[in-house]
Amino acid sequence: MPLYGVPQGVKNPPRHSLSYEERVEFLHDGERHWMGPAPGTFVLVFVFLAAFATYFFVNWKMLSFLWQIG
Amino acid sequence: MSAATFLHRVCPTTGLKVDANAEKLIKANAVVATVALLVGGITAILVVLTRWQAVHLLDAVWFYRALTVHGMTMLIFFILFFEMGVLYFAGPVLLSSRVPAPKLAWGSFWLMVVGTLLVQWTMWTGRADVLFTSYVPLRAHPAFYGGVILFAVGCIGVVCLYFASLVVAKREKAYTGSVPLITYGASTAAIIAVITLGHGAAIYIPTFFWSLGWMEVDPQVYRMVWWGLGHSSQQINVAAMVSIWYLLGGLTVGAVVVNEKVSRTAFVLYVLFISMASAHHLLVDPGFGSAWKVWNTSYFMYMAVLASMIHGFTVPAGIEMGQRLRGYTRGMFDWLRRAPWGDPGFSSLIFSIVVFGFVGGITGVTIGTEQINIIVHNTLRSPGHFHSTVVSGTAMAFMGVTYYVIPLIFRKQIAFWPLARIQPYLFAGGMLVFSIAMTFAGNFGVPRRTWDITYTNAPFDYQFSPVADLMLGITALGGIVAAIGGGIYILVTVWSVFFGKPLEIGAPENAPLRSPPRREEPAPALAEL
Repeated sequence: MPLYGVPQGVKNPPRHSLSYEERVEFLHDGERHWMGPAPGTFVLVFVFLAAFATYFFVNWKMLSFLWQIG
Repeated sequence: MSAATFLHRVCPTTGLKVDANAEKLIKANAVVATVALLVGGITAILVVLTRWQAVHLLDAVWFYRALTVHGMTMLIFFILFFEMGVLYFAGPVLLSSRVPAPKLAWGSFWLMVVGTLLVQWTMWTGRADVLFTSYVPLRAHPAFYGGVILFAVGCIGVVCLYFASLVVAKREKAYTGSVPLITYGASTAAIIAVITLGHGAAIYIPTFFWSLGWMEVDPQVYRMVWWGLGHSSQQINVAAMVSIWYLLGGLTVGAVVVNEKVSRTAFVLYVLFISMASAHHLLVDPGFGSAWKVWNTSYFMYMAVLASMIHGFTVPAGIEMGQRLRGYTRGMFDWLRRAPWGDPGFSSLIFSIVVFGFVGGITGVTIGTEQINIIVHNTLRSPGHFHSTVVSGTAMAFMGVTYYVIPLIFRKQIAFWPLARIQPYLFAGGMLVFSIAMTFAGNFGVPRRTWDITYTNAPFDYQFSPVADLMLGITALGGIVAAIGGGIYILVTVWSVFFGKPLEIGAPENAPLRSPPRREEPAPALAEL
C-alpha cells in the first residue's frame, strides 16, 4: 500500500499504551504531579493569563492618555 | 430504508460507516468552499496591495468592489460551504448513520450554489459595491439580497437535515448513549446557525423589498439586526472550529477528552451567550444606550469568552494527556517537542489554537470593552483582530482537517506532500505577521475600509506617522506570505482531489449492503471522542 502523502494519523493511527482502566488511573493520579495530569498545559495557561493581563492593562493605559480627563 | 440497508462503506481507519450520500455531499461542499477560498484569496491580494500605499494597486471603485467580494466570499461562502460539509460529517458519518432526505440535501446545496452565483454576479458587475455589511441606505441590486436569501434558505435546509439525521440515528440505534463530543459541538454550531439565519431572514427580506422600492428600512434597525447575522455567522465558525480541534487532536496524537461535562457545558455557553457579542459592533453607535452596550458586551459576552477559554484549556490538556499516554512523559514539554510537527493536520491544529487564543482572543476581549473600543473602532485594529480569529483560527483549522478529509473521505493521497507539510507554517506565519502589523497600524489611527490614507485631493490634509506606512508595508508582506500558503493549500487540495493517486485503504466504493460494523480496533482517541 503506497503511503507517501498520507498524514501520520491515517497511516499509523495513534494508540495509547495502556488499557482504558489504566489510562483513567494514570490521568487522575493526584500523587503524580502537583500541577495535575497536564502540567505543561497548566504552565501555558498561566503564560496566556499573563499575556492577557498585560495587553488589557496597556490598553487602559493607552486610553488614559489619549482621552485625558481634566 | 433502515440503518442496516443504506449504501455505505466502512472506513478502515476510524471504523465509521460512511453513507454514500453524505460522502458525495461532503465532497461537493468542500469543492465549492475551495473555489470560494480561491476567489476570496485573489481579492485579498488585490485589497492588501492597494492598502500598501507604496503600491496602491487598484482605483477607488475596484478597491471597494474587491473588498466587498473578499468579505462576502470569505466570511459567508467559503466558511459556510465548509461548515455544511462539517455538519454532514458530524451527523451522518460520525454517528454511522445516513442522510435522511438526500434529494432535499442536494436541493439545498444547489440553492446555496445559485445564491452564491447571484451574489457574485452582482458584486463583480458593480451592482453591489456595498461592502460586507451592506448598510442601508447603500442600495445594491435586488439580486444581491435575493441571492443572499436563497443561500440562507439552502443553509437552513442543511441545518434541518442535520437535526433530522440526529433523530434518525437515535431511532435506528446507530449509536448508544450520548452523541460524541464532536457531534455535540457541531450541534451547537447548527443551533447558532438557526439563530443567525433567523436574523438574516429578518433583515434581508425587508431589505430586498426596500431595494425594489416597496418599503422603507430604518438604518439603525438594520445595523442592529444585521449584526445578529454578521457576527453570529462567525460564531458558527467558532463552534465548528472547536469541534474540529477535538477531532484533529484525536486523529493526530490520540488526544483524550479531559472532562466531557466541562467541554459540553462550554458549548452550551456558546449557544446561550455568543449572539449577544454581536453588540460590540455597535459600541460607538449613537443610537444605542450605554446600558444596552455594556450588558451585551461586557457581561453576556464574557460568558461566551469563558467558553472559549475552557476549550482553550481542555483541548491542549487533552493533547498533552494523549501524548503522555503514548509514552511521552519526560519533563514538562516533552509531549509537545515530540509531537508530529511534520503532520499538517497537527501543525494546523496548534497554530489555530495559539493564534486564535493569544492574538484573536486577547485582542477581541480587550477591544470589546466599551471604553477601549472608542480608540479602536473603525481603525485597522478591528480587522487585525478578526483576521487572527477567522483566518488564523477558523480557516487554519479547516485547512488542517482537510488533510484528513482527503485520505479518509476522498480516499486520495495528498499531492505535493512536502509542500503540504510546510503550508500551515507559511499560512499561520504570514497571517500572524499580517494581523499584528495591521493592529499596530490601527494603533496609529489608520482607518479601515479606506482606499487612500494620503487623502489626495481631499479638502483637508492629514499626515499619519511614518510608522503607519511601515506597518502597512509589513501587513502587505505578511498577507502575501499567507496568500502563498493559501495558494499552496488550494493547489494541494484541488490536485489531490481531481488528479491525486487513489488511496487503497478502504473497502471498494458502493460496498455490499451490510449491518453496522463491529469496530475491532478503532483509533482509541476517536472512539472515545
